[in-house]
Amino acid sequence: MAEDTLNIYEKKAAEMTATNMITREDTFAKTKGGFLSLDCKGTHYDRVRVSRLFPFSDADRYLSIREYGNGDKEIGIIEDLASMSEESQKLIREQLELYYFTPVISRIMSIKDEYGYAYFHVMTDKGECRFAINMGASAVAKLSDTRLIIQDVDENRFEIKDVDQLTKKERRMLDLFL
Amino acid sequence: MNLVFELPQKIRDEIELTGGESIYYAVPIDIGAGGNWSTDSFCVVTTDKLYTFIDGEKISHEINELTKATAEAGVGGGMLVVKKGGEDVLVAHYSSAHMSRYAYIARGINILISGRYEKVESPEYEKMCPHCGRVIPGTKTCPHCSGNGGFFKILGKTIRPYKKDLAWISFLMVMVAVTTLLNPEVQKRLINDVLEKNGSLRTALVFLILMFTLSVAIVLINIGKSIATAKLGSKLSADLRRDLFEKCQRLPLSFINERRPGELLNRITDDTRFVAEFTSDVFCNLFAVFFIFIWDVFYMLVLDWKLALLTFTVVPPVTFFMLYLRKTISRVFRVQNKKNDDVASDLQDVISGMRIVKSYGKEEQEAERFKVLSGQFADIQKRNERFWGMFDFVLSFCMGLGVVIVVYFGGSEVIAEKMSYGELYQFIAYTLLLFQYVGWLGRLPRELSKLKSSLERIYDVLSQEAPEEDPGKVRDINIKGEITFDHATFGYKSYQPVIEDINAVIKPGEMIGIVGASGAGKSTLINLLMRLYETDDGSILVDGVDMKDISRKSYHSQLGVVLQETFLFSGTIIDNIRFSKPDASVDEIIHAAKLANAHTFISKLPDGYNTYVGEKGHTLSGGERQRIAIARAILTDPKILILDEATASLDTESEFMIQKALDRLTSNKTTFAIAHRLSTLKNADRIMVIDDHKIAEIGTHAELLAKKGIYYSLCAAQNLS
Repeated sequence: MAEDTLNIYEKKAAEMTATNMITREDTFAKTKGGFLSLDCKGTHYDRVRVSRLFPFSDADRYLSIREYGNGDKEIGIIEDLASMSEESQKLIREQLELYYFTPVISRIMSIKDEYGYAYFHVMTDKGECRFAINMGASAVAKLSDTRLIIQDVDENRFEIKDVDQLTKKERRMLDLFL
Repeated sequence: MNLVFELPQKIRDEIELTGGESIYYAVPIDIGAGGNWSTDSFCVVTTDKLYTFIDGEKISHEINELTKATAEAGVGGGMLVVKKGGEDVLVAHYSSAHMSRYAYIARGINILISGRYEKVESPEYEKMCPHCGRVIPGTKTCPHCSGNGGFFKILGKTIRPYKKDLAWISFLMVMVAVTTLLNPEVQKRLINDVLEKNGSLRTALVFLILMFTLSVAIVLINIGKSIATAKLGSKLSADLRRDLFEKCQRLPLSFINERRPGELLNRITDDTRFVAEFTSDVFCNLFAVFFIFIWDVFYMLVLDWKLALLTFTVVPPVTFFMLYLRKTISRVFRVQNKKNDDVASDLQDVISGMRIVKSYGKEEQEAERFKVLSGQFADIQKRNERFWGMFDFVLSFCMGLGVVIVVYFGGSEVIAEKMSYGELYQFIAYTLLLFQYVGWLGRLPRELSKLKSSLERIYDVLSQEAPEEDPGKVRDINIKGEITFDHATFGYKSYQPVIEDINAVIKPGEMIGIVGASGAGKSTLINLLMRLYETDDGSILVDGVDMKDISRKSYHSQLGVVLQETFLFSGTIIDNIRFSKPDASVDEIIHAAKLANAHTFISKLPDGYNTYVGEKGHTLSGGERQRIAIARAILTDPKILILDEATASLDTESEFMIQKALDRLTSNKTTFAIAHRLSTLKNADRIMVIDDHKIAEIGTHAELLAKKGIYYSLCAAQNLS
């Protein structure tokens, strides 16, 4: 028993530590259902999942392409999305939009605080919206001195790319959380 | 949680229902086609069809063409995916706000696919009020929209048992008001009758004694009132706390788990404390202030209505400004508190991680980081203190301004001999009172709504219906130990089943080893066996009787449990062992301790079985705690024994010794043992391998090895290591 299982685990360990790069050679295609399929080194995957390894610091680099189901095994990593073909880039971005929904706040119309909750009325890259955060919990995470991720009571995420880009009035409204 | 939203007429017109077809679910899709927010998109499920209306575009699928629906979770959102013709099809994309809603929808679609017509309902609460858009603080209805009638009803219910105290306090409040208002009147007389008119020393003395008595009375009445309200407040909150605690004990674990950690704790401690604080700080002055306020205004009008009206025009803006200042100050101090928290948590981080910091030689780096944080805090503090320093002066200046106006116009009246000196003095005294109480009244709405949400939260728990056992339905049984899993399915969250369709029959006295990767559902299966939760679908039968039909008391008295994280209550070792069977004799306890291999170490402790353990007590090692827990579990001589990694934190030798003891114990008991170290399961009659929320393999050690499946590779991996 020892001999063949040793091989199984050797293989598993090798699989676990290997990093496979996905390049222009590999072709992505959109499925009829609106998802992404991949042909990579002779294998066809009906549906793959794209996840960001550095969603905050490097959103377009180091994308992990994973199987759908089967333990969501990693097929490979795209080091830089820009190095892929135009078509693949478009398809992958579309999938990222599906899996990551983080509206970026461009303008703050108002913030009202009422009994432990703050009510935001903002303009985002996805359109105008209103949301509420719990002021007792740590709803605002600082990614850097000027970059914020705000999580609302529904667990939606909103990003402020650069606090310094906001007007003085907007910043004063935000001041409570900085 | 609402699963059937009101649809706009335009969309309703587009759904053609055939005979017998009806709309089951209708929920918003809040992300439109271009990935932008959408307000007029909907997903509608009828008994025959699945529709989506996204930004005006209609798509429909026949339910009988689908094989499966899933609500997939993404980051900050999710999507509803159906399987159609073997291919995954994206149906709707939504933000986190609708994540759990769609989990129910997916479940509902799957039921329809399977040909059944049950409607899924969601027991979860809405997070935002659909009427006013405010956050609902974990209650069933929105405190804001539930209407004042609800609040006053609750308030009435809360204070009804304390009528006597309330009557006494109300009487004292009226007395406070009377004495407070009387004082300026007496002072006026003193000025007018004695000082101005050169009155006799005797009358002066009379007035002085009257003033003195009034002052003493004010002090005494106030002390009495404070004592009475403080007593009422603490009585009230103690009663609420007790009711809440009792309720929490009786509510199912799922209610507690649905809430954020600490939230229930807050309801029991913070919310009840707020009720007490409100009673002693706000309530005690409520009537007094209203009473004084009304009479104050009345007296001022009587004294000089023109001057009074003038003063009333000054008071609101000044009060408004004062309130604004107060609001600003609480804002800036909140920022300071937040920074203070940052500094404290950073400090805690570094100190508790000192071993890592030192072993990587990063002391300087950490010191630098801390210096920056600490500097920021200091800056804010400096700024705030400056602000604070000015605050009081600005406040008294504002009040002074109001008085200056009164003095100027009142003074002119006195010079014109339209008003006496005493009256002016009295008028000024009343003006000051007015300022004081208008400010107080301005803060009242805020305090009232805080009280309102505290009471709402408290009553939300108190009004929960604890599942009472129907004594006519449940019965006591003497467990033999046969356990049958019949399509048992369960998940903590609506959108994530943790165990799915478990089927197995366990014979009485059998020992079942449960293995599987972390998160596969092993502990959840155990939780169901412990009856901490009830199955969502399917059932678990004990000796052929549905678990739900066995009385809890009878079931739990025949169950022994040793969990991975051993919890010992604050108390002595003997108390902890005895917890499972309060009437156990000392002999039984020692016997159980010996079986659990705990007797030896306990007898070596200076305080023996009387050693105090728990949070503030003697620190026991993980293995020692585990052994006490095992003793506790076997004290009742249970028919069903559950061991969740029971021996994981023991050293090899104790583990071996306990295993030996347990082997003897488990011989006639149905035992479920979870273990990562497979060697501890070598005596198990059968092994159940849980993988991906299901039973992947079940059988004896030899059978599973021959199968060369998951168990085989697990064994191989552990033998090698």
